[in-house]
Amino acid sequence: MKRKLLAATSLLAAGTLFLAGCSASSPNSGTAIGSEGSGTGTVNLLGPEDPATLAPVIAAFKAKNPDITVKYSQVPFDQLNPTLEQRLGAKDDTIDVYTVDQPRLSQLAAQGFLEDLSSLKGQTKAAVPDAQYSVNLYQDKLWALPVWNSTQLLFFNKKALNAAGVKYPSIDPAQRLTWEQVVKDGKAAQAAGTQYGLLLEQVESYYQLQPLAESAGGGSGITGDKMLTTDINNPGWEKAMQWYADTFSSGLSPRGVGGFQTSPIFTSGKVAYFVGGPWDIGNFAKSNIDWGVAPMPYFAGGSQATPTGSWSWGINPASKNKAAAKKFLEFASLDPAGNLSTTDATTIIPANAAATAQYLPKLEALGGDKTKGLAGLIAHENTETAKPRPVSVGYIQFEELMGKAFADIRNGSPVSERLKQAAQQINDAWKQL
Amino acid sequence: MSAETAQAGITRRRTVAYLGLSVLGACIGLLFLLPLWWAFVNSLRPGGDTFRYLNPLQWETFFTATPTLDNYATLLHSDLGLATLNSIIVSGITVVVGLAICSMAAFALAAIPFRGSGAVFIVVVVSFLIPFDAIAIPLANLFRDWNLQNTYAGLILPGLGNGMAIFLLRTFFLAIPKDLVEAGRLDGLGWWGIFRRIYLPLSVPSLIGAGLTLFLFQWQSYVWPLLNGTDAQHILGPIALSNMQGQFNVDYGVMFAGSMVLTLIPLAIIIAFQRYFIQSVSTTGLK
Repeated sequence: MKRKLLAATSLLAAGTLFLAGCSASSPNSGTAIGSEGSGTGTVNLLGPEDPATLAPVIAAFKAKNPDITVKYSQVPFDQLNPTLEQRLGAKDDTIDVYTVDQPRLSQLAAQGFLEDLSSLKGQTKAAVPDAQYSVNLYQDKLWALPVWNSTQLLFFNKKALNAAGVKYPSIDPAQRLTWEQVVKDGKAAQAAGTQYGLLLEQVESYYQLQPLAESAGGGSGITGDKMLTTDINNPGWEKAMQWYADTFSSGLSPRGVGGFQTSPIFTSGKVAYFVGGPWDIGNFAKSNIDWGVAPMPYFAGGSQATPTGSWSWGINPASKNKAAAKKFLEFASLDPAGNLSTTDATTIIPANAAATAQYLPKLEALGGDKTKGLAGLIAHENTETAKPRPVSVGYIQFEELMGKAFADIRNGSPVSERLKQAAQQINDAWKQL
Repeated sequence: MSAETAQAGITRRRTVAYLGLSVLGACIGLLFLLPLWWAFVNSLRPGGDTFRYLNPLQWETFFTATPTLDNYATLLHSDLGLATLNSIIVSGITVVVGLAICSMAAFALAAIPFRGSGAVFIVVVVSFLIPFDAIAIPLANLFRDWNLQNTYAGLILPGLGNGMAIFLLRTFFLAIPKDLVEAGRLDGLGWWGIFRRIYLPLSVPSLIGAGLTLFLFQWQSYVWPLLNGTDAQHILGPIALSNMQGQFNVDYGVMFAGSMVLTLIPLAIIIAFQRYFIQSVSTTGLK
């Protein structure tokens, strides 16, 4: 009896798994079912932003196009990629336009999750900086339109530096601090009573840590003709990661604070130096602490490198309202006024060149005296030091596995071995592509 | 005399041991409460202050001299109100309809002898041994084909047939003496009458236990609403809370306030029903 039961259970389990497998794969087997639509009606937009951030662009678009309504749905940032993978893979037509993390574009395009927008190539090339144009190309076709751009800046707590008798760093890119100097000054600030010397906003993210390796001469970490060869065991990467590990083991940076959301620690006055994005300026301006801003540092003797890139928006090939979706996308990216309105509620750099020119002085004014010279600095970083993330169909796996390696390294894993292990894991993951 | 002294000594030692254990138990209990208390205190001060008193630990880590309800006021302008209401609706309907379905299924498995009941029971057991997340993606594709995407029905349906609830209820039903069923039959009751007039009234504690299982499944639902394409009108509590953690910055004060709201509702329900819940879990398995 027992054996019969066991056999029945196993058979059932196997059957369930088989059925699950079938139903998972069946929706992918069909061809794209999208259509142009009437050019009016509702456009569904999906992204990780707070609805308040996108409300101005949606309202501005509605004012110009009264017969199209844009409906926005927010997905938690951490869940955006798996949710998109699943819903786009199932040809979900309730998504018309969605936010595309720029380094993920090639994989999304390769999977057939983006509508070809090559007819807009000329217009896009004319409207945005070169780096923002090329990042949206894959196999010479245009797959998404850039909406935002970014960079990283070194913020400092004036009270902490005063207490240690450290001179404020200059906003002039020619007088950029070195990481070595930041460590020295940060330790002096700690000795004078500030709890931490340095904190990077996205402690475990490739976006923010890539420039460390680039500055130390390690490159992006991906090489080869097909951009599917790892290169993270070179002396540059090891130097950068050892330096990063040391900032945690020496107590300069706090280990207990994880992830992305670290800016409240700076605004509570506990950190001397904080590396963050332009989006922090709005919040810091509202905080009680006295702060200033300077260029992102580099390693002494190394090159100057800063992160760049942000979000593009693309059209779901399964959308049944592509014409209206395209209108909205053109407005949000290629129309300077439309693109500028995406930055009304959140301080972030617009991708459109004409919009950027109007925006930067506004951003500089936001911080008053504290951010004097910021417009010039950001313009300089965007054209001179910006190092885009590598364009590779294997970027998604690369970024995820590197994130885990960064987490381990900052928690004390031996740098060289952990990088070797990461390279192995990435190569294994890429074999499945 | 000496015997009396020894007796008194033992009693005193017992009292001390009892007191010691009670104090230890209370301390351990407080340790469990501490994170919730910390979240509560942080919901009463501005988000920027969350980390100010964290390290080193000090009295202000766990108390605030200037409590403010600003964070809760901010919540009023967020999606959380609607999301909490949606979560209550979805969980409430799931409990009522789910209990009806699960108790009938459990009754059929426990009381009605039929061919293949063992196999059906195995299906039920297997269904709750497979994690829901593992079947969520293919299930979401089916729901999309059935046009259930972004509907309350789409959110509620996966929570209705809960294998764990059926298992709990069936085990409880098995403990009800068959003599009662026979007595009922002699009085002219059919299966429906036996179920409604004998089994259900005797099983209130286990129904509450199963109801809580169904409620918590929906209250914590996170992956499913995301896969099901839930828009701003159908948003559920855990998603609204997670959305507060913006991409570029987060107000921890508001996050903690949101967490408190979402914690207090199930906490109140569990405390109100905990007596029955413990009773139902402790009596399932007794025969």
